[in-house]
Amino acid sequence: MINFLQILIEGALVGLVYGLVAISFVVIYRASRIINLAQGEVLVFGAFMLWTFTEGAAGLGFPIPLPVALLLTLAGCTVFGMVIERTIFRPLIGQSAFTIFMAGVALLILLRGLAQLIWGAESRSAPVILPEGAIEIGPFLVNTRLLIGAIFTVALTQALHLFFTKSRLGLRLAAVAEDHTTALSLGVSVRQAIGVAWVLGTVVATAAAVVLLSGSILSLEVAVIGFKALPVALLGGLESIRGAPLAGLLIGIFEALASAYLDPLTNGAASGVLPYAVMIAVLLIRPYGLFGWRKIERL
Amino acid sequence: MRPTGIWFDSYASEARVLETRRSRVWLLILLAFLVCVPLAAGPWLLGEMTHLFITLIAVYGLFVTVGMAGQINIAQSAFVGVGAFATAKLSGMGLPFWLVVPAAALVTGCVSVLFALPAARVRGFYLALTTLAAQVMFPIVILALPMSWLGGLVGMPVTPPSLFGLSLATPTGFYYLGLGFAVIAAWMAFNLPRSRFGRALRAVHDNDTAAGVLGIPVTRIKIESFFAGALFAGVAGAILAYFLQFVTVSSFTLFTSVWYLGMLIVGGIHSPLGPILGVVFITLVQEGLHSVANALLQSGAAIGGGAVFALSSVALAICILVALIFEPRGLAHLWHSAMTGFRLWPFPRT
Repeated sequence: MINFLQILIEGALVGLVYGLVAISFVVIYRASRIINLAQGEVLVFGAFMLWTFTEGAAGLGFPIPLPVALLLTLAGCTVFGMVIERTIFRPLIGQSAFTIFMAGVALLILLRGLAQLIWGAESRSAPVILPEGAIEIGPFLVNTRLLIGAIFTVALTQALHLFFTKSRLGLRLAAVAEDHTTALSLGVSVRQAIGVAWVLGTVVATAAAVVLLSGSILSLEVAVIGFKALPVALLGGLESIRGAPLAGLLIGIFEALASAYLDPLTNGAASGVLPYAVMIAVLLIRPYGLFGWRKIERL
Repeated sequence: MRPTGIWFDSYASEARVLETRRSRVWLLILLAFLVCVPLAAGPWLLGEMTHLFITLIAVYGLFVTVGMAGQINIAQSAFVGVGAFATAKLSGMGLPFWLVVPAAALVTGCVSVLFALPAARVRGFYLALTTLAAQVMFPIVILALPMSWLGGLVGMPVTPPSLFGLSLATPTGFYYLGLGFAVIAAWMAFNLPRSRFGRALRAVHDNDTAAGVLGIPVTRIKIESFFAGALFAGVAGAILAYFLQFVTVSSFTLFTSVWYLGMLIVGGIHSPLGPILGVVFITLVQEGLHSVANALLQSGAAIGGGAVFALSSVALAICILVALIFEPRGLAHLWHSAMTGFRLWPFPRT
């Protein structure tokens, strides 16, 4: 029983990290109507930037204090998001979903290639930002890093939810998510919306990278997390900020259970296939996710 | 646009793909040239050409699904992989070559239908996500199945093909195999837009609500477009399996799928000429980068093999983005406008 609960707790904490990455999908979609397949690569880019300002700078003999390094990373993410908006997505405003999707795919291989060219393919240790170790609550062990990440995820969710439903800018972004042309004719700046979307998306993705990688291994392969978070975002509903962590909890717990109880029977496949099986099931049964907007497009 | 002085006196002649005698002669010259290539080329060039033909078949499959029907498919490489593994398994069971290829195509088609079923409920990029799921699940499933089924991590050997007691397992044999199937694929793709099925695909692509009103079974057409595209992928996978003589999961990645899509987009998704131009162009760019990188390596620069791969990904991504932003109709449109300009010269093209 204790073992079972321990699995539940670990699954839930990991799930909230998935939820955090999923939020970065949702933020971009919610503000610009772009499903960004390259989100995993964006996360890796953010992580590499953080590495450059901490370990990389220290390695070159210019140690930067951690708060300054975090600020620099934040500034780097902002610039990065704006560059992507300006060069790739601004010329494509109003284009078909197919074009936007393919631009996302192109961005994926572009970022993967650039990351490899700039930082090389070797894996390195990520900077330790969150405390390591585990605290004991009763009979259970809880990973401190993931616990802080989970609390952070919940707080960020609430903040972003308020931003999108209460602030004037956030409501304008919702109009852009509905339809580019309608938003334009209402006087909403689609360019500004996409810019804000990308800056928010890269910052959230980098925050996710901090939680996910703090003190562990940083390599190009980390980008796979993007594809794991996509089913989470879909299950939560692509327009729902608060749906993402909830869906993350569900998928995290189910994945942990599958990897504990089904993997020995299926040669390790169950936990890997599960998120995607969930994704296909969601698309078949409830295409708009748990909390998404019901639109005609998804019939 | 046609040059002046060409008119048709029957519907059949107007509906032809190759309208004039001159274009038919040029096609014959091109085919004769391709048939004669093995007489002069070395094994390296023949291998590259065979690879190009196999890619072309897979991209023609994408042309049917993505270009004609407008359904995004980001799992073409996984479908090619299904075809390759089916070929390895079936040829290992002793089936003859001429039976293995259609069987592999059918198996691939059936697998693709499994992932096209959500088309009944969703459209647009939500449908693309199910194909993404197919691509991601493919290696997980193959690796998890027992070793004796599909080889698992190690992979599977493929029995060399032979036809009428004649072994095809030489560079020249593979070349003709690839050429033959690529010509069939191109022939089908050029004729598809003129057929009833092709017109239905086009209608679904343009506006599926309107297509439904016209009496086209939209869901069935969408699923059939995946099935048809996967048939091409299955054939490409079968030839690739015979060509490589050994199949492993690592040859069929998401990146290869993206390459296929990129070739289609750069070439032009709406014209059957697009895949040919796109595949040739991207292959040339890739080979150019490889030779530049090799020259740099020999001059002693410190770049690894990984950097070459990274560089070619960046190049492909830039090609796709440039095509999307500046010329969404691709190289095929550039080709057509260049031809029109040539015919009208010295008059300006309106």
